[in-house]
Amino acid sequence: MATHREFSPGIHWIQECGPDRKGIADSVRASGGTWCTPGLELHVPQNAYLLAGDRTLLFDTLSPASGDLILAALEEILGERGLDFLAISHPDVPHAANTGRILRRWPGARLVAPRVGETHALYHLDDALHVGPEDEIDLGGLVARFPEATFLDAALHTWMSEETTRTLFTVDWLGFPHMEGECLKCVDELPTDIEASRLEAFHSRVMFWFQYVDVQKVVATTNRLARSFEGYALAPAHGLPIREAPERFFEMMNEVVDSVSASGRTGVL
Amino acid sequence: MTVPLIGGVEWLHECYPEQDGHLHVSVYLVHAAEGDILVDSGSFYHRDGLSRRISAATGGAGPASLILSHSDYPHSGNIPSFRDEWGDFEIVASCASPEIQGLPYARRARIGETLEIRGRRFTFLDPPLADRSHTTWIFDEESRVLFVADGFGTLHPPGTCDRLWGDLPVEGRREGVREFHAQTLRWLEYVDPARLMSALRDIFDRHPAAAVAPIHGPPIVGGHLEEYLDQLEWAVRRIAAGDAPGN
Repeated sequence: MATHREFSPGIHWIQECGPDRKGIADSVRASGGTWCTPGLELHVPQNAYLLAGDRTLLFDTLSPASGDLILAALEEILGERGLDFLAISHPDVPHAANTGRILRRWPGARLVAPRVGETHALYHLDDALHVGPEDEIDLGGLVARFPEATFLDAALHTWMSEETTRTLFTVDWLGFPHMEGECLKCVDELPTDIEASRLEAFHSRVMFWFQYVDVQKVVATTNRLARSFEGYALAPAHGLPIREAPERFFEMMNEVVDSVSASGRTGVL
Repeated sequence: MTVPLIGGVEWLHECYPEQDGHLHVSVYLVHAAEGDILVDSGSFYHRDGLSRRISAATGGAGPASLILSHSDYPHSGNIPSFRDEWGDFEIVASCASPEIQGLPYARRARIGETLEIRGRRFTFLDPPLADRSHTTWIFDEESRVLFVADGFGTLHPPGTCDRLWGDLPVEGRREGVREFHAQTLRWLEYVDPARLMSALRDIFDRHPAAAVAPIHGPPIVGGHLEEYLDQLEWAVRRIAAGDAPGN
């Protein structure tokens, strides 16, 4: 079964679907989520993205359960090419666990990490190239920038954008589960629309802190993001890429924060 | 340093220097009836020192079990090397998908339940102050020590690394609470302080703690808890108002 595809010119998506999340599926169906089809597996994926211009940059590394998967995918995509940059969104196990294995395979790759904070040595990131919103890496045909991670878990964190294709990589924000049969498809290739309840199934677990927020403050920030990245495709680390009508997802996230704030978290991921 | 707390709980602390103070990256050792239990494993940055200190505190045997608050590397980074050193001791963790967190061998603790570990009962709590989804706070029912992972930290001045929170210099102490939470739990910029503080106080109503044991700050013992909560509320209000470092 394929684990990777080029979903936008020069941007390769490597997907780890992970185990069947029966508990989440049961919870979603109990709350009336019709998108969660009985009898099919429910996946909460990890995604890594390889930007292939004249030079190459990998954004995140999947979980430790998929070390072999990502190495094999990179071998297939890169072929005789090298890996020039390995960028880590944040040093969280499901995102950064295969950093060492990838750097041993491509020892010439430059490790790239978020600049924010002072705790890099606690994560073996003190020798990395540190990047922030003022930085860009010109890959030749593609350009990576590193906007602030607006909604996040770990503090040492960055989002990424690719400016030629206008794609925003939102890491832990805008995640959502997909069903068996939807693996490695973009949202516009699904037969039905993504509903806010799918986004809520993810964020009510991962961004559990939505239950303690001032909703209007979050909504105002989300609306600012929508304006700043108007027209950008959205590529989350735990969902399917959104190439069409991305503005609808910003609007749905405002519904999600309102709902989680009122109802609380629904579980643990 | 190893500092005895209460009820067979010891604080084994290490420090990481930052520009505005020191950050503790600690572990705790619980001497239970049927073996020693480590709470978190510390950072690989402090591996050698922690290994020596745990060995000394356990008579060379190492822990019989380890309860993990969450899989962030400064909390979990020494698990492989400690298991190499002392054998495949039991790991108890709260994550819903242990293989994705690199812990396929972990015994799962579900938030809300109480488990008996080495003859001692621990209750796993949903933490209002955390960054990762699968973080749990751990309440030791015997000592009534509440282990709070990334919550309740404080940056402290050099030279005060082995002091309990109540013994830190009063001047600058609440700033240390604010700076820690602003830099570690960045979502607090969106928080409604009243809702958060209500959730925290509800936990202490339901689980009266004799001491609070953070990983990134000194323990807060007994009579100082109310004072800490007041300073935390001040800190959270400042952060929510946009008065965080860098703003």
